[in-house]
Amino acid sequence: MAKKTYDLLFKLLLIGDSGVGKTCVLFRFSDDAFNTTFISTIGIDFKIKTVELQGKKIKLQIWDTAGQERFHTITTSYYRGAMGIMLVYDITNGKSFENISKWLRNIDEHANEDVERMLLGNKCDMDDKRVVPKGKGEQIAKEHGIRFFETSAKANINIEKAFLTLAEDILRKTPVKEPNSENVDISSGGGVTGWKSKCC
Amino acid sequence: MEEAPLREEEEEEEEGDEAGPEGALSKSPFQLTTEDVYDISYVVGRELMALGSDPRVTQLQFKIVRVLEMLETLVTEGSLTAEELRMERDSLRKEVEGLRRQGSEASPEVTLGPDKVVVDLRDPGRPRFTLQELRDVLQERNKLKAQLLLAQEELQCYKSGLIPPREGPGARRGQETLVAVARASGARRSKEEKTIIGKLFSFRSGKQT
Repeated sequence: MAKKTYDLLFKLLLIGDSGVGKTCVLFRFSDDAFNTTFISTIGIDFKIKTVELQGKKIKLQIWDTAGQERFHTITTSYYRGAMGIMLVYDITNGKSFENISKWLRNIDEHANEDVERMLLGNKCDMDDKRVVPKGKGEQIAKEHGIRFFETSAKANINIEKAFLTLAEDILRKTPVKEPNSENVDISSGGGVTGWKSKCC
Repeated sequence: MEEAPLREEEEEEEEGDEAGPEGALSKSPFQLTTEDVYDISYVVGRELMALGSDPRVTQLQFKIVRVLEMLETLVTEGSLTAEELRMERDSLRKEVEGLRRQGSEASPEVTLGPDKVVVDLRDPGRPRFTLQELRDVLQERNKLKAQLLLAQEELQCYKSGLIPPREGPGARRGQETLVAVARASGARRSKEEKTIIGKLFSFRSGKQT
């Protein structure tokens, strides 16, 4: 009999101000590549990456949101299905750090209550332009009881570690059950479409 | 004979006023021209002459001439004023038109509130789709992307030989179908095995018999 491509499916979501590097962080993780040209994400996009944790194949469906305010109503409708949310700010952009509380409030309003959260201070390779000290990131993360990493999509620092840690945290909370018919649900409103994977 | 050319002129201007100099008397006072005043003077003068040289007529004639002179001044003054006003009106009209044109090019932001956006209808890149339309398109894009990824994955399975090609058509449907196909192929394989064994047996039995 054919074997499934994965044992579990985790849905993750990237949020944060426009231009902090959410798409680059995801691109580094999914394709191990980096692109300097800035193309603003239109609304919502996703990528798939399968990782192996504790002997389980875990398919990560990672939703990348547009940080721009004008897409807000579209992006917030995707919070609900997320099991893990990465909140990204830019260490060279003070405003993006100040907005963390706003994004956390969005999570409270729109996401599941038990969603696993993580804070990322991206662009840590640009230390000469840093305006947010690492300590401030650590402090706000501690206040909200969430994990924190400084990352660089460009220099490939802590990217994989961050995703794997978030996946592990979700895995820890996941009740052990049969490798099963998890749907990769691409609609926000609830299981209209999806797929059942198999083979290999 | 001075009045002849004058009358002709008047007839041309006043659209076939057949009444001659007397016609001026039947005109509306607001349309009276200096020429009309002269016509009236001519008509009145001719009638006064016909009255003869009575000193009372002469007295009256002086007064009438005076009144006609006053009328002439008023009519002349009036038509000049009317002409001036007409010119002023025309130049004001032009000015208003110019201001309107300038206004439509530059000023709309001034009249709009803080929450309004100006859309230039001549801009080919202007926003023209609704949020709902964008939402639908994105949802469809992501759905197709998901299906493409699945198809690629499945293709990889075929390429790496994990699914034998002959199981292809059924395997495309879904897990259940694939399982069914897998079982069927398993069954087929065991059937094939049976027949080989059967052949062996029949050979042996044939040999034995």
